[in-house]
Amino acid sequence: MPADRPTDPVGKHAAGANAAAPQGVQGVQLDPVLDALDPDRDRPAHVIETRRLTLHFGSKPILSSIDMAFERGSVTALIGPTGSGKSTFLRTLNRMNDKVRGFRTDGDVVLEGRSIWAPGTDLLELRRRVGMLFQRPNPFPMSIRDNVVAGVRAHRIARGKQLDVVAEQRLREVGLWDAVKDRLGDSPFRLSGGQQQLLCLARALAVGPDVLLLDEPTSSLDPISTEYVEALLRQLAPALTLIVVTHNLAQARRVSRTTMFFYDGRLVEHGPTDALFEHPSDPQTERYVTGRIG
Amino acid sequence: MPRKQRRVVFTVLFRLGTFLALALVLSPAAWLLASVVAKAVPHWRWSVLWTGLTSTGGGLLGPVTGTLILMAGVLVVAGSVGVLAGVHLSEMARPRKNGAEGGTWLRMASDVLSGFPSIVLGYVGYVALVVGLHWGFSLLPAVLILSLMVVPYIAKSTETALRQVPTAYREGAEALGMRTGDTLRKVVLRSAAPGIVTGLLIALAIAGGETAPLLFTAEFSRTLWTGALVHAHGFGYLTYVVYTFWDTPSKQANYLSYDAALILIAMVLLLLVAARLIVARTQRHSESRAR
Repeated sequence: MPADRPTDPVGKHAAGANAAAPQGVQGVQLDPVLDALDPDRDRPAHVIETRRLTLHFGSKPILSSIDMAFERGSVTALIGPTGSGKSTFLRTLNRMNDKVRGFRTDGDVVLEGRSIWAPGTDLLELRRRVGMLFQRPNPFPMSIRDNVVAGVRAHRIARGKQLDVVAEQRLREVGLWDAVKDRLGDSPFRLSGGQQQLLCLARALAVGPDVLLLDEPTSSLDPISTEYVEALLRQLAPALTLIVVTHNLAQARRVSRTTMFFYDGRLVEHGPTDALFEHPSDPQTERYVTGRIG
Repeated sequence: MPRKQRRVVFTVLFRLGTFLALALVLSPAAWLLASVVAKAVPHWRWSVLWTGLTSTGGGLLGPVTGTLILMAGVLVVAGSVGVLAGVHLSEMARPRKNGAEGGTWLRMASDVLSGFPSIVLGYVGYVALVVGLHWGFSLLPAVLILSLMVVPYIAKSTETALRQVPTAYREGAEALGMRTGDTLRKVVLRSAAPGIVTGLLIALAIAGGETAPLLFTAEFSRTLWTGALVHAHGFGYLTYVVYTFWDTPSKQANYLSYDAALILIAMVLLLLVAARLIVARTQRHSESRAR
C-alpha cells in the first residue's frame, strides 16, 4: 500500500475533498448562487431508479419487486446474508447479468430518466457511465499504465500522449502514483492486492463514470488497504454515485449514507444508514444488524 | 507389515514407477536423436544446405526450402482457419436452448477429421485436387491436405487456451464497456497466446514431419520450387528424402537421408525454442509470471 493518505483528488472529483466526513445531506447545495451554477441542476435528482424490479434465473426467483432510487452523489450500502440477492441486484444495474443463461427481468431500471433496456441503448456507453469494481482485483495481463487506460482507449476518450496524462492523473487520484511511477511498464501482478484493487479503481474512474458499482471491494484486502479504500470512496462520493455491496456491517456504517437490507430475495428495509442501524423498523433487519442472523 | 513400512514401500514403488515411465518416454527419443546424430555428423558438410539435389547426390537445398515453404503455407492456411475455429468454439458458439454447449456440430466434425489416418487424407487430396481439379502434384494440394490434417489440432488447442482465460478478465473488460472484439484482442487472446502459439508450432512440427499425405499430393521433385502453386511436376520436401534415400544403393543418397533427418529434427527443436521465446515475450505481464 502507498504510505500516504489519499491525496487531494484532481479533476472533477476535487469537490469531494471536504466532504469526506458525512455531515447532513450531501449533494444539496445551501448556497443559491452555487446551486444555480450546479451543472446537474436540470438532471433528475435520482441517477438510478429501479421500478418494481424482479429478477429470475430460469424459474428461480432471485429478487422480487424492488423499488429504489439512488440519489446523485450518494453512497449506498447493500447489505444482507450470502444469497440474499444483493450482488445480483448490483450486477443488474450495468446489465452484467444479461448474458447469464435463463436471466429474466420484470420491471425496470432507469438511468437518468431512461430505461437501461430501452431499444437503442448503447450497452458499451451504459457500462462506461455505470462502472464496476469487483471483489477480487482483476487487472488485465498488460502493463500498469495500459491497465489504467484500457477503457479510455476502448472508448476513444484519449489517444497518444494524452494517455500518459490520463494514466498519471488517475493513478494520483487513487494515491498509487508515487508507488508505481517508476514501473509503469511492469506487470500489475507484482503489486500487492490492495494496490491491484486501487489500480482497478483507477481504471474504472478513467472512463469518467457517473455511477460506480462496487461488489465487496475490500473483502480480499488487508485492514490497512481496506481503510485506505474506504477513505477514497468517501472522497469520490459527491462527484460520483456509489453503490457498494458489503458483508462488513461496520464498513456499511462508515462509508454509506443510505443502506439497503436484502434478505431472501426481498428488499426488507432501506433508509438512512444511521437510522437503519440504530432503529431498524423491521425485526429481521434488527436481527441482522445486531449479528443474530448472518 | 507395520503401516509405516508399508507406506515407505508404496512410496518407493510409486517413485520407481514414475521414473520408469519417464525413462520409457525419454530413452527412445534419446536413442533416436543419438543415432541420427551419429550417422549424420561424421560425413556432415554444410554445403548440403545450399546445393541442389542431383541424380548422383548433391545437397538438400530443394527439400529444405520445400519443407519450409510447406510449413509456411500450413501456418497461413491451417493457422488462420484453426485459430478462428477455436475462437468460434470458445467465444462465439451460442449455448443451445436445452442448455447444451454450443458448437457441437463443428466440434464433432473437427474430432472426426482429426481421426482420419493421414494417408486417407492424402488419397482424398489426390482424387479431389491432384486429379479432380487437374492441379497435378504441386504445392497447393499438399498445403491444403496438410492443413486439413492439423486444423482440428489447432482449433482444439486454441479453444482450450481460450477457455482457461480467467472469467475475471472478461468481466473486467465487459464492465468497462469494451467492445467484444477489443476484449478478445487486447485481453483474452493476449492471455491465451502461449497456448495458441504452442499449439500452432506443434501443428507445424507435425506437418513438417508428415510423409504419407505428401506422397499423394506433392509426389517429389529434385528441382527447386519454381513458384508455381499448381501444375508443377512434383514438389520436394525433407521427409521424402528420409523415407526413400536411406536404402538406396548409393552411399551419397544414404548420407543425404541422414542429413535430412538431422535437419528435420533441428527444425523442430528451433520451432520449440521459438515457441518458448514468443511465450516469454507475450507473457511478461501475465499473472503466473509474477508469482
